[in-house]
Amino acid sequence: MLAASLALGFALLIYILYSVNLIQFPFDYDQGEGFEVHDSALFSRGELPYRDIESYPFYASNYPPLFHLMAAPFVWFFGPGYWYGRLLGFLGSLLTAGAIAWAVNREGRHRWIALLAGLAFLSSNMVYHIGPLFRQHMTMVMFETLAVVALARAWPRRQTKGIALGLLLLICAGYTKQLAAITALAAVGWMFLRRPRAAIGWAAGFMAAGAAIFLTLNIASDGQWWLHAVVANINEFQPRQAFGLFDLWFKLHGFLLLPAGLLLVYETYCARLSIYSVWFTLTALLGGIAAGTWGAGDSYFTTSIAAMCILSGICLSRILGHGGDFRPRFMARALPGRHIVSLGLVIVPLLYLGYARATLKMPTDGAFAALAQTLNIEANVSSGFFDSATFNVGGYARIGYFLTSQDTQAGHQIADLIRQSDRPVLSEEAGFSMVAGREVISNPTQLRNLYLAGLYEGRQLIEMIEERQFGLVILRAQFYPLPVLVAIGQFYQTEAVIRMNGFDYSILYPKEPAP
Amino acid sequence: MARSALWPLYSAAPAVYTFDMSQSEDPITKRQLGLGLAVFGAVGTAAALAIDLLEVGREGGIGPAQALALGIAAAVLLVGLSLIPLGDAPA
Repeated sequence: MLAASLALGFALLIYILYSVNLIQFPFDYDQGEGFEVHDSALFSRGELPYRDIESYPFYASNYPPLFHLMAAPFVWFFGPGYWYGRLLGFLGSLLTAGAIAWAVNREGRHRWIALLAGLAFLSSNMVYHIGPLFRQHMTMVMFETLAVVALARAWPRRQTKGIALGLLLLICAGYTKQLAAITALAAVGWMFLRRPRAAIGWAAGFMAAGAAIFLTLNIASDGQWWLHAVVANINEFQPRQAFGLFDLWFKLHGFLLLPAGLLLVYETYCARLSIYSVWFTLTALLGGIAAGTWGAGDSYFTTSIAAMCILSGICLSRILGHGGDFRPRFMARALPGRHIVSLGLVIVPLLYLGYARATLKMPTDGAFAALAQTLNIEANVSSGFFDSATFNVGGYARIGYFLTSQDTQAGHQIADLIRQSDRPVLSEEAGFSMVAGREVISNPTQLRNLYLAGLYEGRQLIEMIEERQFGLVILRAQFYPLPVLVAIGQFYQTEAVIRMNGFDYSILYPKEPAP
Repeated sequence: MARSALWPLYSAAPAVYTFDMSQSEDPITKRQLGLGLAVFGAVGTAAALAIDLLEVGREGGIGPAQALALGIAAAVLLVGLSLIPLGDAPA
């Protein structure tokens, strides 16, 4: 058990170092972070980011408001920046791990397993990626986990305040990110299993509250909320990405998916289904399928990983003789409890050790070079970083490595180019414009999604490009709609490529008009 | 048993009545859950297969997304059927 604790403690150390490294970086690390900073800036000025995207500055957000509202007070004091949003995400992941440990200890009565379950969540490669980003995903997972843990206790005890708190947290999760609808479905479904009529009453109140917020946002944004938060989020499903991510999810987390699955089967056939089992099943299945849509990815498994950590922790606690008898009646005589505990004392630490090895990611240079050599691992995803997941699966975020001072310099170099121009700048990432003190123009993925849905024409933007009104254009992934990219190709030319975070940023300047 | 133990709590907290008038209501049973899942799975399986019938002329047979939907629906159907014999045990 000590070895397992040390292994998962090492994963926590790497996670903290990565977070500290990332929090100091003043540009986009994961594409799109800057738009979330900009959303927070808009909210801090009392403006909604759900706007008409056909007209200048062609900007709208596709995310609900809560996370950005949480970051807005920081904008008042520190101006637009990345560090506080990344800090919020990091703290959210720690709070989620704490809630997992608390839930396992409450159900399993084994503090060491509870600690390991919390650490296991933070060790996951998929949690590691998304945790310290300026993204609302981890805050959503935090609200979801707190909601489920609250309801697990309050619903069977009929504690009105606890149930109301759980449902309020679910609304918070939903207005942090839409994906929380799966957890809401799981929670209300489980409540229905236990007390159907009461669940219908509570669900009606819950839906009314959620709908009231939805309508308020839609009216306040003159219908733009519906377009951007709902319609623009319906993207094409890519089966290969979904299958690849399911496969990867199992390979990375198999050591704990096994006991989680065991408890799920036990509860399904030999006991009553807990909220954790229902939550785990639906988030793994539906979250995994959603991970296969364009623009989604491995982070969509994060909620199911939280559920897995709780379920597996409870299962392994029971195997060690804590938190109630785990054996079905027909097995009780054939398998004496003391034999299971003896076996568990060997198996349980091995499972957590195996999990720590399966989810290993760490730098392989600098202070970690000797350890990497001892563990016989080499950099496999970037120079100086090992990730057990590799970067071979589509939809798996190709981040996680540490940033260097060269990356920061490269970002400032791009920001300086923006400052040198006296005209507006069209950038695929908002960070450069914000650091240069310029207006954020366009949200390329939002333009793309609405264009593919037949809801964006882009006449004004294309006209501005044709008239060379932008001083420069900065591209990385070329997410703009095809007609916009074609116009950029016709009227702008690449004059520099600057590498930052392992990605190439093309700097395009207007072509000279034909004589 | 549960009703008598919880009754003082209900008497002391009038707000509970809002949604919890039926403190003695029965939970969903394994059989009911199994039937629900079986019906859901059967409809899902039929729908996944019907796509081919509706999209006449489409080439390539069952696609990967359709196969995924079919696999999940069939699994839900089987789990549902396996729960039905468990009778009135609470789900």
